[in-house]
Amino acid sequence: MTRNRLYLFLVLGLLAGYSYILWESYVRIFNHPFTPCIFKNITGIACPSCGVTRSVLILLHGGLKSAILMNPLGLVVATIMSITPFWLLYDVLLKKNTLYNSYLKTEKVLKIPLIAILLFLLIAANWAWNIHKGL
Amino acid sequence: MDSQKVDMFLMTNAKYFQAKHLNYIRERLQAADDSKWAMIQSADLKDPTTSLLVSIFAGSIGIDRFIIGDVGLGVGKLLTCGGLGIWYLVDIFLISDATKAKNMEKLQMFL
Repeated sequence: MTRNRLYLFLVLGLLAGYSYILWESYVRIFNHPFTPCIFKNITGIACPSCGVTRSVLILLHGGLKSAILMNPLGLVVATIMSITPFWLLYDVLLKKNTLYNSYLKTEKVLKIPLIAILLFLLIAANWAWNIHKGL
Repeated sequence: MDSQKVDMFLMTNAKYFQAKHLNYIRERLQAADDSKWAMIQSADLKDPTTSLLVSIFAGSIGIDRFIIGDVGLGVGKLLTCGGLGIWYLVDIFLISDATKAKNMEKLQMFL
């Protein structure tokens, strides 16, 4: 993954993410059965990140505690989505690679077995919680 | 490196690389020193077919990207339910080429 490909990918991903959040908050389909998640459509049980959109929407309305109760991963996604655009703009305008370098560094850290196992257990626990909540 | 070894390597490992890279690999291997043979043999190459199967069955939570070593993209895929299902579908077509490109990156370190 080169720098420019990563940045293009991030721009497209952010655009898709923001337009999806906008659309979702516009139609307010909280209780609507529609879900884009293939895993949930096939198996009928929630995937590890089901409820992230709802969590981000609740966060937008100021409910920090209920956002965490919906799905803690929503906080991670909200943080990434709010920080990355500015970081991306900073890098592109000043022609630096600070975001790319930290992406590579994060990848390296995530490959350390102990950290990978710990995060995997966290995700698995969150998944079990998701299924228990019946998202 | 003598051409017999190079041919043996290419015959057993051709399916792990993109066709456009095979000629380059042959040239570089022939120019490479014999002492690198053991390291090249031990390079951890991933099978594109395996990653395709993983992509179909566990791609919506990003396992395929984790397996080939794209941890950053794997996290992205995990956090978004496989990119709202779209990235999941696209990756079924892209994953075997991505695996081959990653294999090339791994081999490149020794060439």
